[in-house]
Order: sequence, then C-alpha cells, then structure tokens
Amino acid sequence: MSQTHINIIETENLGKTVPTSDGSLDILSSVELTIKSGESLAIVGASGSGKSTLLSLLAGLDTPTQGFIMLKGQNLTSMDEDGRAELRNQCVGFVFQSFQLLPGLTALENVMLPLELRADKNAKKLASALLDRVGLSHRLTHTPMKLSGGEQQRVALARAFVTEPAILFADEPTGNLDSKTGEHIIELLFELNQEKQTTLILVTHDNALASRCQRTIKLEAGRMI
Amino acid sequence: MSRFFLALKLLLRDGRSGELTVLVLALIIAVTSSTAISLFADRLHRTMSTQAAEFLAADLVITSSTLIPEQWIKEAEKLNLNHARTAEFSTVLMENDEILLAGIKAVSRLYPLRGYLKATSSDYTEEKILHNGPKQGETWTDKRVLSALKLKLGDHLIVGEKPLKISQIITYEPDKRGDLYSLSPRVMINDADLKATQVLMPGSHVHYFFQFSGSSEAIAQYRKGIKPLLHVSQRLMDIHEDRPELGTALSRAERYLGLSSIIVILIAGVAIAMSTRRYSERHFNATAILRCLGCKQNEILWLYFCQFLVLGVIASTLGTIFGWFAQETLFHLLKDLLPAKVANPSLIAIFMGFFTGLAILFGFALPPLLRLKKVSPLRVLRRELEPLPTSAWLVYSLALSLISILIWRYTLDLKMTTTIIGGGLIITFIFGLILYVCLVQCRKFLPFLSLSWRFGLQGLVRNPKASVSQILAFSITLLAMILSYTVRTDLLDDWQNQLPDNAPNHFVLNVFPEKVNSFKQQLKQQNIINVDLHPVVRGRLVKINDVAVQQIVSKDSQGERATHRDLSLTWAEELPKDNKTISGQWDSQQKGGVSIEEKLAKSLKIKMGDKLTFTLGSQQLDATVSHIRKVQWDTMKPNFYMIFSPETLAGYATTYITSFYLAEENKNFLNTLVKNFPSITILEVDAVLKQFKTILTQLTEAINYLLYFALFAGFTVLFAAVYSTLDNRIYEGTLMRTLGASRALLRKAHLLEFSLLGLISGFVAVLMSETIIYTLYTYVLHLDYHINWMLWMGIPLISTFCIAVTGYWGVRRVVRQSPMQVLREC
Repeated sequence: MSQTHINIIETENLGKTVPTSDGSLDILSSVELTIKSGESLAIVGASGSGKSTLLSLLAGLDTPTQGFIMLKGQNLTSMDEDGRAELRNQCVGFVFQSFQLLPGLTALENVMLPLELRADKNAKKLASALLDRVGLSHRLTHTPMKLSGGEQQRVALARAFVTEPAILFADEPTGNLDSKTGEHIIELLFELNQEKQTTLILVTHDNALASRCQRTIKLEAGRMI
Repeated sequence: MSRFFLALKLLLRDGRSGELTVLVLALIIAVTSSTAISLFADRLHRTMSTQAAEFLAADLVITSSTLIPEQWIKEAEKLNLNHARTAEFSTVLMENDEILLAGIKAVSRLYPLRGYLKATSSDYTEEKILHNGPKQGETWTDKRVLSALKLKLGDHLIVGEKPLKISQIITYEPDKRGDLYSLSPRVMINDADLKATQVLMPGSHVHYFFQFSGSSEAIAQYRKGIKPLLHVSQRLMDIHEDRPELGTALSRAERYLGLSSIIVILIAGVAIAMSTRRYSERHFNATAILRCLGCKQNEILWLYFCQFLVLGVIASTLGTIFGWFAQETLFHLLKDLLPAKVANPSLIAIFMGFFTGLAILFGFALPPLLRLKKVSPLRVLRRELEPLPTSAWLVYSLALSLISILIWRYTLDLKMTTTIIGGGLIITFIFGLILYVCLVQCRKFLPFLSLSWRFGLQGLVRNPKASVSQILAFSITLLAMILSYTVRTDLLDDWQNQLPDNAPNHFVLNVFPEKVNSFKQQLKQQNIINVDLHPVVRGRLVKINDVAVQQIVSKDSQGERATHRDLSLTWAEELPKDNKTISGQWDSQQKGGVSIEEKLAKSLKIKMGDKLTFTLGSQQLDATVSHIRKVQWDTMKPNFYMIFSPETLAGYATTYITSFYLAEENKNFLNTLVKNFPSITILEVDAVLKQFKTILTQLTEAINYLLYFALFAGFTVLFAAVYSTLDNRIYEGTLMRTLGASRALLRKAHLLEFSLLGLISGFVAVLMSETIIYTLYTYVLHLDYHINWMLWMGIPLISTFCIAVTGYWGVRRVVRQSPMQVLREC
C-alpha cells in the first residue's frame, strides 16, 4: 500500500490536566508520538497511568489541555466536537473492553449501524459478510443479551472493521474475557487488521498481547517512558 | 432523508426491544383523553347551547320597542339566517261581562326558531308538541283566560277589533320571560292578524323580539355587524344575560369541561415527562456509541426528534381514533338523557386532540431529549460521565408555556388560567423546597435506623432532587385527580341545593295588602306553608347624589337597563338568608336607609352613603345607601335590587309578591286562587324549570363520565410513572442481593420506600389541592369552600397503597430472578 510510510497520527507535547479539590492534576503530560499508517502500536502501563486518556485523546473522544494531535494530516485539537465526530465516522473504528453494543439491536443491526450512519446502501450485505467472517452468521438476529462475552466482542470487532477504518482503537479488548476466549479474539483482531491494512492502537496491561504489536510504548504517571 | 430513514429504523428497533412501551402508552392515553374530552365537550357544548337557545326560541334575539330597519332583515337573509318576529303587549279583553288584562303575543310564521310550543285541544287530551304558532284567524290562550272570560275552546275571542277562534290551550312557550307581558295570562295570535286588531297605534307600548337562527359562524357574524347599529332602546339578548339561572349552570359546566381537559393534559404531561426522562437516561450509552461512531450533536438531536415526531404522529393518530370511540361510547351511554339530535363532531375538535398530543409530547419531552445531544462520546470509556441536565429555565418554561396555552385554549378564561398556573407554580415551588429540606435533614437519622429502614429511606434521601421531582410528579397526578373529583362533587351539590325537588315553580304578583292573610290561609289549605310574601312598591331610580342617572350610566350596562324601567322596591326587617353582606350593616330601624345589590351598585358607581332619589308614581323619595349585598339570583325566589328599611316606604301603594312550589297534579288550585283573588297575576315557571332540571341532569351525567375518564387516565399514568422510576432501584437491589442481602430484607426495604413515597406524595397532593381549590372556588367558580377531611384521610392512604403495590410489583424481579440475569439486563 502506498500509505504504509505516511504518519497517520502525530502528537506534540500532548497533555491533559484536570482540576481537583486539591488543585490541578496532570493525567497525561508531554506525550510526543508518531504512528505510521498500517503500524500496530500497544500502549501499556499500570492502572491509572493514563493509557485510556491517551487513547481517548488520539481518537478525538476528548480534548487535550496542552499540545496538539494531527490525525490523517488534520489538527484534531483545532476541530470542534462535530468536526471530530465526522473524522471518527470517516476513518476511525473502536473496540472496547465492555463491548459497547446497543442492547436493543440485533448483532446484525449493531454491525450495520456505522454503515447506516454513512447512508451506505450495502449496509446489510457488508455487515452480514463481516459477521460471517467472525463466525457469527448463525447469530445475526440475536441481541447482545443472548450472546456470550466472546460473541459480543466478535460483534464489536465486526462493527469496528465493517467501515474499513484507517485506524482502529482497541481499549483492553480482552479485559472482560477469559484467557481462551481472549486469545481467540486477539487472533481475530490481528487477522482482520492484517486483511484490512488498518493502523491498530491497542491499550492493554497484558505484556504478551502488547508484544504482538510492532511497537510498544509504556506510560507511567502520565508520561511516556 | 437518509437520516430520517435511519431514525425510523432506530425507532423500530427501539420499539421491538420494548424501550418505547411506557412512552407510547402515556402518549396514547394523553391523546385519547384530550381528543375524547375535546370532542365530547365541543359536541356537548353545541348541543346544550342549541338546547339553551330554545329558552330564547332562537340563537340570537334583538329586542326593540320599534320595528327594526328592513335592511337588517335583508342582511340576515344574506347570511342564510332564519328569522321570526314576536310582538308582545298588554291589552284588556272583555267577554261575557268579564274583564281581563292579557299579555298578547303576535308570532310570525316560523316562530319558534328553536324549541317548540306545547298545547292541548281540550282539558283531557295530552299536550302536543307544536313547532309553529296559531294559524291566521285563530288564537291559542292560557287555560286561565278561558275560565276568567267564561269561554271554551272553539269560541271566538275578540282581540281589539279582531275576533279570533280559540283553537288550542297553550301550556308551554319556550321564551316565556318574567316581565309584565309574560306575567299576564297569555293570548297568542298570528302576526298576520295583528294589524286587524287595531290595538297597536303609534306610541303604543309594545316590545318586539326579532329572532334569528342559523350556523354559529353566521350568527356570530350577524351579531358583530348589528351590535354597533343598535339604538339605545334596542338590545341583543343572550342566554347568559337573559336567563342567568341557566347561564350560570352552563358556564360552570363549560368550565368543568375545560378543567377536565386541563387535568387530563397535566396528567399526561407528567407521564410523558417521566417516561421521556427514563427513555433519555436509558439512551445515554447508545448515544455515546453513536457519537463515537461519528454522529454529530445536531444529527443526534435530529435522529431523536424524527423518532419522536414519528412516534407522536402514530400515537396521536391512534389516540385520536381511540378518543373518537371513547366519546362515541360516552354519548351512547348518555343517549337516554341527551336530546335525540346531538351536534356532529367538528373537525376542529378532532384536530385539536391530535395536535394537543404532539404539543404535549414536545413540550414535555424536548428537555430530556435535548440532554441526549450533550452526551459525550467519552462515555464509552467512562460510564460515569452523565450529560449536564438541560437548564431548569428551559425545562420549566417550555412545559409551562405549553400548559398555559393549552389551559387558555380550553377555558378561554384568562383569570382561571392565571389562577391555575400562578397558584400551581407557587405551590409547587414552596412544596418542592420544603420537601428538599426535609429529605436532606432525614439523612441525619439514617445511622440510627434498622437496615431495612435505612435501605428503604436511603432510596429517597440519596438524591433529594430526584426524589423531590418524583414526589412532585406523583403529587401533581394525584392533585389532578382530586381536583377533578372535588370540583365535580361540589358543583353537583351546588346545583342540587340551588334547585331542590321542591324549588318554587310558581310566582304570584299583585296580592293586595289586605288580602295577604287570606291569601296565606288559602295556600295553607293546599299544604303550602312557610311562604314569605314580599311587599313591592314600583319606583324608578332617577338621581344619584342629585345627578341624573342617565349622565352616569354607560350604554348597554346593567345599570342602564335598570334605570330604564320601574324597579320592584321592597322593604324588610331582615335581609333574605341567601343574600350576603358586601359592605355596611343592615339596620331596619334606620329610616331612609336602603340596601343595594352589589353588581347594580358597581354599574351605577354607587358607594356607601350615596344619596339615591326615586320617583314613586308622582312622588319623590330620597334614600341613603347603608348596605351593599350580593344576591343569589339563581334561586327560584323573588329577589330585589333595592331593599329599604320598613319605615322608608310606609304609605306608598304596595302589592305583595311570593313564590311557592305546586305539584303538576295540583294545577287546578291556580284557578281557585285566581277566582278568590282576581287581582293576582300568576307566573307559571314549572315547565321551564322542568326543562332546566333536565339539562342539569344531562350535564351531571356527562360530568360524571368525564370524571371516570380523568380518574382512569390518572391511575394508568400513576402506574406508568412508578414503572419509569424502577431501573435504578432494580439495579441497586440486585447488587444488594449479590452482596448477600436476603429477599425478606429487600422486600421490606422496597415496600417501605414505595410506601413512604406514596404517603408523602399523597399528603403533598392534598395540601396542594386544598390550596388550589380554595383559590378556584373563591375567585373563579364562586362556590363555597370548606375543608374536606375525607381527602386528608383517604388520599394519602390510596396513594400509599397504589404506589407501594405498583412499585413492589415492578421490582419483584430483584427477588425472583437470579441476580446475574437481572444484572445482564440492566
């Protein structure tokens, strides 16, 4: 792919400070990061080290208090919330620890949703194909409540990849699963990542999982070490 | 467009998962109720107005002492109005050496335009309903005319110069009034014979009534056009002004219908606000995901707006259909009581129901929906992030404006609207504040309570703001139901008291002073006892503080009419019991003192201590206003504008007036009276009264059904509202179970929490309702207020029972299902 060596995410002096009753608290400070297109990156660190905050900033879910982020050549920090939402819709996918499926929708409808938001007429076809790919063709009409944790995460994977995003953010994707199921999910995640040539940014505290990524950065008390 | 279809898809998916059930139910109830009441009230109002119009024999009447210009009649014809004319005057009839002062009524071909006449062809045949007056050359008379002039049916009666054949005995005329011409025995003739009688000469004292009927729009247009053209001696008649006893009853019934509409809307509004809040809270996560997937804030709002619009249209359509059937059922249930021909449903009323549904939905649902717009996408990572609530100003002003507009639309009464909104606002604020403080203070006692009490009470005190809004929502629903019940009960009692079964139905005038005792004696023989005879001196008010009254009164005012004619002046040692003192103290010993009726005093700008000058025949009399009183006009008893101290009117020509009840089967007694007291004039109002009572019975039944409807809606919504608060309780209860809490403990704690919620809501509702009822009765409905202790006992008990049972039933999952299953569903 021609995009392989393009910097898809760049940050400079990235920081997040929140006010508390004891004064301001730095959750993240001076993060300098460059991620190339197609690269897989693991962000590791202990609980409270700022991993999820960094992910939320990189994905445009939250705004930094210092520094800036360039995502696909666009300055995320200068965009308003609607601008960031549009960018997310165009080039970002997510997988969460708690799956975050809509409880009222079936597996198929959950996967169709991001396509429907783009007014894609092939939503059903594409979503069915991807659910088939993750081995859930027999579960299309089941709501999340009727699916096991592993199955729910597979639906979430299908939803994340169905729009063929340029970047996939995964926040502790195996955190709610047993080790065997977790392994299956990780296999699937990396397979799909490979197939779709997606840039993967993975937050985890599992070193084994992190080692499967091309690069790992470690956070401690909000700083890269 | 694609967003709209996406919204539709999401709506369908939500609907399938049961997320919308409570909301849709609340909305359907709201629209069904408002359509049913709107249609029912509209049709009943128009039916009753038509029936009431029968008391005028027309929809609109112009009274005049002269003929009205021909052009006015042509204008009426242009608007497709039917018209009829009656001319009423007194004349002396002489037959068989007997003399009688009779009230002649010459009626044109189409008279009566509304209602009907009743007559018999002999003593023994039954009354017939007739829709036109006598033919040319014929006359219909009161039975008393025949007995007084020794005539029988088929004889000829000479009116002026014209002999007319007596063809019917008239027993009922719809527009019979209580004035001089109507008091005398009736002789009805055809208008075409009027000229031939030669009774009317230029300057003769005659009253013309020009009657019109037609569509309400045409009548309104005609009234608008004619009003500015009226001469000082001409007047438009109106059911509210000219038949005050009926007008008052109709006004009150209409207000009750309006009140019922407001109550149902309020109940529905509370339900929608609560269920949308629940809907909104349950959609925070879904919205965060949508935001995460790239939905912009306005797109989120648009998605939900479209969903609610579609939901509103569907629920409003269903509600309108159900409402239609509900009001048809109401009319079917009332068919034996209502007139055979009920007014058709109007399209406007149907649309009003439909749009009321949409308006309630958006007025109450928009604030919680706006909150969804503020959901942060970061919530996908941090669940605890809740969107900021929409500003209180926006929430309350939206709902309040909507309620105000709807109340005003249904009542068309600014005073009532202001009373309900203003009073409601102040009361809600005060009680909200008191509750908040109490709940915050309750926290101090928690450590001293047993576990189940602590857990039960914690549900209420943990988030006092949320608890206050829940309690207020329940209270407002209960309040609406209490208002509906109490106002209806007192309204009906008031009517019953106003017109008991033995309310006087005959008036007797012109009893000479020397005959008073023998007259009473005669009544006593007929078992008519405790009859008060009131002295009457005819006199006209001419000056106020030495200024001619004509310079003081404004055109068309009550004062003007009262000063254009002789008033019946009376004197009394004691004022009638149903009169209420407004200012001053009645002193019967004060010579020259007069008590005046409140509204007349206001119209003539008369104050305490003013000097009034009257002409009584050729004499003048001065009196000082020493007392102002309110008169209960809608009783069937003689009432007076002016009551003098006894000595003031001593020496003036006096007759006596009274009223009494006489059963229909004893009607012959009237002939005995007339025979023994030839001077008297009897006014028979029994037929009119009977019809009036029929109308009241119909209104009563209609109002009862409205009450049942409002109560049904109230209870349904109350249950729905309790259900909409259960999510958190179920979640917390389940967590408690996972931590080892026993089922018995949870059952007890839940029962305690819901019982407390019901008890507090019940008390708050009673407090609120007593305050509003006091304000409504005192300033709007003019009914007597009294504390209803049954409410204080009953409502908290009913409320506790209903909320406890519903709440307990709603959270039973916590103790019946496995905690894992419940947690997964939460």
